Amino acid sequence: MSPEPGQDRVPPWVRLLLVLILLYIFLTGVKALESGIKAFGEDFTNSLFQRASNPLAGLFVGVLATVAVQSSSVTTSAIVGLVGAGSLPVELAVPMIMGANIGTTVTNTLASLGFLRRTDEFRRAFAGATMHDFFNICNVAVMLPLELLTGVLTKTATWIADAVGGLFTFEYGESGGALKTAVKAPARLMESLLDRLGCGDHLTGALLLVFGLVLIFLALAYITRNMKLVMAGRIERSMNAVLSKGGGLAAITIGMIVTVAVQSSSITTSVLVPMIAAGVLTLRNAYPMTLGANIGTTITALLASLAAEIPAGMVIALVHLLFNLSGLLVWYVVPGLRGVPLALAEKVAVIAERRKSFVVVYVVGVFVIIPLVGVLVLQ
Amino acid sequence: MVWEFFKAGGDEQLEEIEGLIVQMLLDCRHTFDLAINAVVSGTEAAAVGKTIRKSDRRVNKAERKVRRQLVVHVSVRGERADLPRVLVTTSIIKDIERVGDYAKNVWDLADAGIDLSQAADVDSLLELRDRTSNLIAESARIVGDRDTGAAESLLKELEDVLDEYDDCIQAQIESTGTPRDAVPRALLCRYLKRITAHLMNVLTSLVMPFDRLDYYDEDKADRD
Repeated sequence: MSPEPGQDRVPPWVRLLLVLILLYIFLTGVKALESGIKAFGEDFTNSLFQRASNPLAGLFVGVLATVAVQSSSVTTSAIVGLVGAGSLPVELAVPMIMGANIGTTVTNTLASLGFLRRTDEFRRAFAGATMHDFFNICNVAVMLPLELLTGVLTKTATWIADAVGGLFTFEYGESGGALKTAVKAPARLMESLLDRLGCGDHLTGALLLVFGLVLIFLALAYITRNMKLVMAGRIERSMNAVLSKGGGLAAITIGMIVTVAVQSSSITTSVLVPMIAAGVLTLRNAYPMTLGANIGTTITALLASLAAEIPAGMVIALVHLLFNLSGLLVWYVVPGLRGVPLALAEKVAVIAERRKSFVVVYVVGVFVIIPLVGVLVLQ
Repeated sequence: MVWEFFKAGGDEQLEEIEGLIVQMLLDCRHTFDLAINAVVSGTEAAAVGKTIRKSDRRVNKAERKVRRQLVVHVSVRGERADLPRVLVTTSIIKDIERVGDYAKNVWDLADAGIDLSQAADVDSLLELRDRTSNLIAESARIVGDRDTGAAESLLKELEDVLDEYDDCIQAQIESTGTPRDAVPRALLCRYLKRITAHLMNVLTSLVMPFDRLDYYDEDKADRD
């Protein structure tokens, strides 16, 4: 029986098998990235990251990198790879992870521009998209200074990594587990191939780095595409449940589950934008789903940490999770603060509705100009 | 609510919407039966008014639910959304909602004091009642079963029914009786014609392409 129009022609089990293969490719990419950075040598990486030693510069690097690849999963996986290789210290990586959280919101902000010609719909869509921006900006405004003053996220993440490492007897170091050995093999093969071809350390490092980034980017893109197809019906059903029963903890959980399933918070939040634009989903009911998506997206960095050489890889992945959990506690659980990102988003949407030129200023300013100037000034 | 994600199956969202459409039609039939009985069978209008309004609200609520679910479907599926089916659905739920509205208009006649249960032509009125009630039920069955063959043959039959209602309205215009006799019958025939036409629009969704839907509620001469 041939599938109906709009139906997926590939059986779900084939797509799930493909996703498993893509996950392996993704971890191989993380490992190749690590190997590439190592091949550059310690002096090179030290001098590279000294430039981003200012936490704000690190934050802006995270924003810019994520805007460039339109995926916080790619950025955070790369950061985990760098930290896991011992090339990027956790304390420098923390603001970058926070920046990645801000940068990823550009996707649904861009999605909201599709409604630009219809005033009311656009106002709602823009508010729905920028609510995610403001949540992340507010969260960074609180958590970055707190982390710099107390190191609370890193300390907690280290404690959990130690506990979890002990619990599951993760083996870090050269030997590693079966998974690490399996993902190391292709990177080592390429490294030895480049060595035989007479490439120097820096060229080998650069090629491995690019190879790793391309693998991470493509694997994540195809994982997301396949999982979205497999999960579309479930996502649709879950969204319908949120529409009929409202937000709250269940909406947070659904946002989280959907994002874990498709490995992309941008997919979850971008799906919400047309619903908010159409007026069938209120900003207040979409907000907890967005927060759930923020938590769900941290699964990618946690997966990437499976390929890390040292526990620090898992520490930074856990920092990502804890940062978003803290955001949820501060900006959702505290009733007085819950409305702040929503009110800011609604205000900005009203301005954007009146002056369309403001939209360009906002998108380019927040996601490109400010971070770019920040990096140039603060490095 | 979270359980929704983990439940078995997942690709039958449009089928679920079709289920809602069938339920809307059955609710319309319920409204119509109560309303017409208040006009032709002597049921007290006030006694069924509350139930009719409740049933009508259920139809309107279902219409909004279908629309929301369609927005979700298109948002989630994006370019893979089955757009012709989505567009057809938005079109037919409007027709079904109109069936409910006309059924309510029938009740408005009873509420205005019209009682034809003792009229000389009550048998023909009861025949119209049964025919329309059965037509709504049959439409629900055809939509539920996606029975294109039955939809096609019923559409052919109903062309003549529309003409009958036009004749009925014309007869009342030319009637020499009192306005109190002619006006309710003319209005009733008009409402029944509109109900039939909207049901024909619903049925065409099974057998005609999207661009040719929605013309049966217009006069024959205006349809081409």
